[in-house]
Amino acid sequence: MFLTRSEYDRGVNTFSPEGRLFQVEYAMEAIKLGSTTVGIRTPHGVILAVEKRVHSPLLESSSIEKIMEIDAHLGCAMSGLTADARTMIDHARVTAQNHSFTYDEKIKVESVAQAVCDLALRFGESVHDEEAMMSRPFGVALLIAGIDELGPQLYHTDPSGTSMRYDAKAIGSGSEAAQSELQDKWHKQMTLQEAQILTLRVLKQVMEEKLDQHNVQVAQVTVDKGFEILDETSLKSVIELM
Amino acid sequence: MDHHPTNWGRPRNDTVDPYGTYPIHQRPTNVPKDAFAAGIQHTQQPIVTGTSVLGIKFKDGIMMAADNLASYGSLARFRDIQRLHPVGEHTVLGAGGDMSDFQYIQGILDELMIDEFAAGDGHTLGPAEVHNYLSELMYARRSKMNPLWNSLLVGGFKDGKRFLAYVDLLGTTYSASTLATGYGSHIAQPLLRRAVEGREDTLTEDEARKILEQSMQVLFYRDARSLDQYQIATITAKGVNISESRKLETSWSFAEGIRGYGAQTQ
Amino acid sequence: MQHSPSVHGQPQQRQFNPYSDNGGTILAIAGANFSVIAGDTRQSEGYNIQTRYAPKVFRLTDKAVLATNGFAADGNMFVKKVRQRLEWYRHAHAKDMPLRAIARLIQTMLYARRFFPYYVYNILGGIEEDGSGAVYSFDPVGSYEREACRAAGAASSLVQPFLDNQIYFRNQTPAPGTSHPAHLPLAHVLSLVIDSFTSATERHIEVGDGLEMYVVLAKGTTALQVQDLTAIAGVTELTTTDDGERLFVVRRNLKRD
Repeated sequence: MFLTRSEYDRGVNTFSPEGRLFQVEYAMEAIKLGSTTVGIRTPHGVILAVEKRVHSPLLESSSIEKIMEIDAHLGCAMSGLTADARTMIDHARVTAQNHSFTYDEKIKVESVAQAVCDLALRFGESVHDEEAMMSRPFGVALLIAGIDELGPQLYHTDPSGTSMRYDAKAIGSGSEAAQSELQDKWHKQMTLQEAQILTLRVLKQVMEEKLDQHNVQVAQVTVDKGFEILDETSLKSVIELM
Repeated sequence: MDHHPTNWGRPRNDTVDPYGTYPIHQRPTNVPKDAFAAGIQHTQQPIVTGTSVLGIKFKDGIMMAADNLASYGSLARFRDIQRLHPVGEHTVLGAGGDMSDFQYIQGILDELMIDEFAAGDGHTLGPAEVHNYLSELMYARRSKMNPLWNSLLVGGFKDGKRFLAYVDLLGTTYSASTLATGYGSHIAQPLLRRAVEGREDTLTEDEARKILEQSMQVLFYRDARSLDQYQIATITAKGVNISESRKLETSWSFAEGIRGYGAQTQ
Repeated sequence: MQHSPSVHGQPQQRQFNPYSDNGGTILAIAGANFSVIAGDTRQSEGYNIQTRYAPKVFRLTDKAVLATNGFAADGNMFVKKVRQRLEWYRHAHAKDMPLRAIARLIQTMLYARRFFPYYVYNILGGIEEDGSGAVYSFDPVGSYEREACRAAGAASSLVQPFLDNQIYFRNQTPAPGTSHPAHLPLAHVLSLVIDSFTSATERHIEVGDGLEMYVVLAKGTTALQVQDLTAIAGVTELTTTDDGERLFVVRRNLKRD
């Protein structure tokens, strides 16, 4: 499929005659190699869940960090080149802090997603003779979960700098199967616990290993407690409920 | 607004030379400087100055007046200086204060109007736009501690609307139906207010001219930095008209009757 | 011209002074579900009246009004920059900036110029997100607090003590078995504001000519309160939305001497 693409994939800002930016499309491919990540929005909060690939028995699974806090009311899960996500989350955190410093209010989920997308599009940008700050697009997609005055929300951002709001979204290697499962099972009035269980069920279907509290991570953003990553015991109890 | 331009922009209780002679005699030497200050000279005082500008609204537009003198301290240095300058088809700019700064502003505005004309987009800058541009310019320069040492009146008529407003070296702006800068703000403004306020929509061009002539006459009697040669600008729907230089009719015989100060105290 | 006696032999500083004082007074009072923000319209420098009508009170959003007092050029530029930030915020976040966010924004904008301050005292009034009337007051470098009332400017030293007594009931002891109200009704507040300005006009040469009084009423204000307001001479309604806060301005004459 890539054989016909000749030299239009060399420059990050060069369109092909069909109007495509190949480097951006390749970056999207990188996400399809990443571990599956699922997010679900409910009226009570948002659930994020990721698969942690533990490729060696000597690997400390607790050191794999794929869900991170942006602010007390914002969390984020990733899939793809997770190292790239550090830059984006750093940016999101600074943006959120700057907002509350300047405006004495929590930043909106949409605004954070937009700030991340603004950064994602800055590849190949250079002023005059200066070196471009970023040489390639980010190879990572994010699920940004949060609660603001508009209630619980889930946003998806990708390397093309597009952000969209979802009721439920899956990204990563098992995303196709996971997304259709979410489409079947998601409903408007889910409880938080139903959503927790659904994310794990979806992950279980697409994972090769047997799902346990070591190879998945679940986080939630709720009205009462804001962002929190479920600890091993509460994760275990959800797994038992599956 | 102090009537002597040298005192503009200074603390109000600053010790000043009451006869305004220091462009020649009292150049400041004790201004505190940092290590890099030697390379940059900012305007600390005006040198060649113009005095009052007057402006009033009348039935059909705006009328402005200013004399033709540019002083060097107490010396009447240039006696044929233009202090009313047309800006495009609808606007007149009148200036008191430093005449070199004023001529620099004229240059900027002429260039601006040419650029706007060259754009050929059907837009022309009216008096409100020119005034706003000048207020940004004057405020930006004061904020760099390098002011353009002027107080300016912008008068104009565009789209059926009269416009008359003030801006000075601090970026201070205001608008009223009568305006006067410098000494005129003390001497002429009360006369103008009495003659114009409440009559803006009925005063004829002749009546307006008469009011300004009388005010210029009083200013010439009282302001030692003024001249009996002056111009009047009229801005109406027909456009801008700046008169030839005209001479004030003065009679000094009344001075004989003045008692209480000067040579005759009895 | 100031003919202060020249002190010979003393070095005198002749540096450009980028500030001026343009007089005038502003004042704001918060009620339970409304806010009143007022200012006179005289602009002066020294003994000269520059103009009898230069607004010092500005509508920012449907529920926020800002009054500025001090150096007029700085005040106008500051309001211009605040409005620019409000528009950017609206574009970035798809909503009007809430009052408390405007207050914090004003602090950061003022403090950003800590070492070349805007020589302006600001008072921000309006309705909070919870529907309560609010007043925020600022010093020129950004210290701010939420209060029930504040006066600033030339006659602040005349008006503030009056407000302390009439709004906060300072030096008043309630009759036995009663207590002072936390908030005053609109009609009462309006008459306090008008009295404040007529008095300041009497006693301060830099105050007078005109009074501009903005009134913001929270959502769901009673018809009675609106009546209190419309009963006053010189009211104009500036409300833009059908279901939001209501905004009015009252324009009155003050003595011109």
